[in-house]
Amino acid sequence: MSRIFITGVGMISCIGNSVEENRAALIAGQTGITQLSLFPTKYSGLRPCGEIKIETGALKAKLNAQEKGVTRSSLLGLHAFREAVEDAGLSLEQVGSFDTALIGASTVGGMCLTDELYRDANEKGQGSEYLSSYDCASVDLYLQQRYQMKGIINTINTACSSSANAIMYGARLLRNGYAGRVIAGGTDSLAKFTINGFNALHILSPEQCAPFDKNRQGLNLGEAAAFVVMEKEEDIMEGRKVYAALSGCGNSNDAFHGSSLSEEGDGPYLCMRQALNEAGLGPSDISFINAHGTATENNDLVESRAMIRLFKKPPPFVSTKASTGHTLGAAGGVEAIFSILSLFHQEIYPALHFSHPIEETGLMPSTQYKKTALQHVMSNSFGFGGNCSSLVFSAVHP
Amino acid sequence: MYIHQYSCISPQQTFDNIDLVSLHESVDNKLTAREPVYKDIPRNILRRMGKAVRMGIGAAMPVFLKQPVLNGIIIGTANGGMEDCIKFLNQVIDYDEGLLTPGNFVQSTPNAIAAQMGLMHKNKGYNITHVHRGLAFENALLDALMITRENAGGFFLLGGVEEISTYNFNIDLLDGCFKQETISNKALYSANTPGTIAGEGAAMFLVSGSPRDAVAVMKGVQTLHSTNEPEIKSIVQQFIENHLPPGERVDLLITGENGDSRILKYYHSVESLFDTHTTIARFKHLCGDYATASSIALWLACSRLPLPPHMIKRRGRQTNCRNIAIYNNFRGSQHSVMLVGLL
Repeated sequence: MSRIFITGVGMISCIGNSVEENRAALIAGQTGITQLSLFPTKYSGLRPCGEIKIETGALKAKLNAQEKGVTRSSLLGLHAFREAVEDAGLSLEQVGSFDTALIGASTVGGMCLTDELYRDANEKGQGSEYLSSYDCASVDLYLQQRYQMKGIINTINTACSSSANAIMYGARLLRNGYAGRVIAGGTDSLAKFTINGFNALHILSPEQCAPFDKNRQGLNLGEAAAFVVMEKEEDIMEGRKVYAALSGCGNSNDAFHGSSLSEEGDGPYLCMRQALNEAGLGPSDISFINAHGTATENNDLVESRAMIRLFKKPPPFVSTKASTGHTLGAAGGVEAIFSILSLFHQEIYPALHFSHPIEETGLMPSTQYKKTALQHVMSNSFGFGGNCSSLVFSAVHP
Repeated sequence: MYIHQYSCISPQQTFDNIDLVSLHESVDNKLTAREPVYKDIPRNILRRMGKAVRMGIGAAMPVFLKQPVLNGIIIGTANGGMEDCIKFLNQVIDYDEGLLTPGNFVQSTPNAIAAQMGLMHKNKGYNITHVHRGLAFENALLDALMITRENAGGFFLLGGVEEISTYNFNIDLLDGCFKQETISNKALYSANTPGTIAGEGAAMFLVSGSPRDAVAVMKGVQTLHSTNEPEIKSIVQQFIENHLPPGERVDLLITGENGDSRILKYYHSVESLFDTHTTIARFKHLCGDYATASSIALWLACSRLPLPPHMIKRRGRQTNCRNIAIYNNFRGSQHSVMLVGLL
């Protein structure tokens, strides 16, 4: 089976406007979780978030995106997409060609404009400029139009595992011959819809989140976009940059509850095991895990149990959500890139805000930045509706 | 990929006591689904389901009855439970971000349909939701084509679902998607004005890589984002040439013509690819137009039902219907063509 290589990466999150900036912040142990200063909600000052401190208007100007009806989600998507494409050295002609696929993911899409959507959904009259921009597909349709893309375009929504599934779907398109290169990832921006939704579920932390800590109080929402460029090994010309290989993917449903994971974590366990199987690896081959680690009571306990069930003694792991917040549909893409960076630079980024392990499991994330030999890194993403996915990336030695 | 079972809830009598001849009429430019009593869904669970989830689960019941153990669930839906979504959003705004109950929020995510199926049938296999607006079902279909190739012995559920909600109807009406004047679905193709009528439904399929006990074979699907007529025509032509077995012809073309005068040109252009051998049929007067309506066309193709005169646009010379092409476009910019072979 052909190996799938990552040849370009692009991302924007609350800890940086580029992949390099994100990496520097991770190394420095910085968090981007702050009180909200741009996004208007009653919860600003009460629920810290991973807010990207660039106003929507400034993003439009920076990206020369003055078309009508462009939302913040689309702008963040464009920002990361552009970086990934440039990083891979793709020409506009290549991006637009029939064999380039775009597989995006979003859970909020244009619903970041909650107030506009409220008016357009309930009132007669003129309607706003955003009438066709509210759905999840609007981000990828904007990118398709802007780059005049002719290949397969898709949008996936499996809640918080959306962009992990976009990457998995992209790899399958390559293997099945439906695309020659794939740009895959996801985008989500902050929305009153999600802030109030997660708050109503009582899983938003009033403090900076503390993944895998005994005293964790819930998650912090964030906003981000992240895209990777994927190509088959045999299609990559000599001299091109290769970050890592995507060697295995797993997707499984926990089939337990709409918004929480089962006690034993069947979904998490099964998707991790499936990703290992596809990669032809055993548990002991995994050098490091970028955990889902939302810092909710339920996720971190169940994910810990599932890791112990599969690995017996789990390898070093960390949840970077303490740095970026939970970026929902973008999280799988963001954390795929962090996993890829770990492999490419042979380094582990530190867990933040961790002090005491969960009593039952005793698992402790690695809290120090360190250079270390890594061969295979696993990235976990679990979502509402029991949608669990896991990706395994492997180092590619030149 | 082979199709073994097919099932459909739509604004017509398509789920039980199937009758395509008598046409149920639209009301206020909406064709709403004729939902069955859902006797197989426990009452307490049914009560909490939004319409999209309910129709999806209900339409999938015959598939689960035929094949209780499935390897995965693949759903295409642009919006999922839009009614729940905006109900929650309305609470956010009306109560100025006050204390809210999360029920509508959890139900509102588009992946709730596939998730609820996984939950009800304890299915821990592959589970995914494609939401790419007018190509959500086609992308789900492509997923199914790949996964049945990757898992030789596996059985999968493939489906398309959409609901009309008060709110998305309002948004799409403001956006010019629906007709300004009220018409009947019986006069959909003669209106010759901009816009279409709204619809909803759910179509579900049991698919695998094995021809045993199959009713149809899916030869392929192609999608394109474009507004360029010659380009669309040539892509459809190439697709048919590449996927039709040598010496065979397309016997039936089902198109998604929807009464919108602005996009009729694309249908004319694709129809012109087929000579008098091919029968041309239309289906949007049965179900209205919505993002995953092409799933209903695939159900019609699999059903082998005699097509009533109201569906026929042009009767062809073909006598034995084996190869069926389905061409659809959503709002003029998202195009798809599928090819199905009856077995």
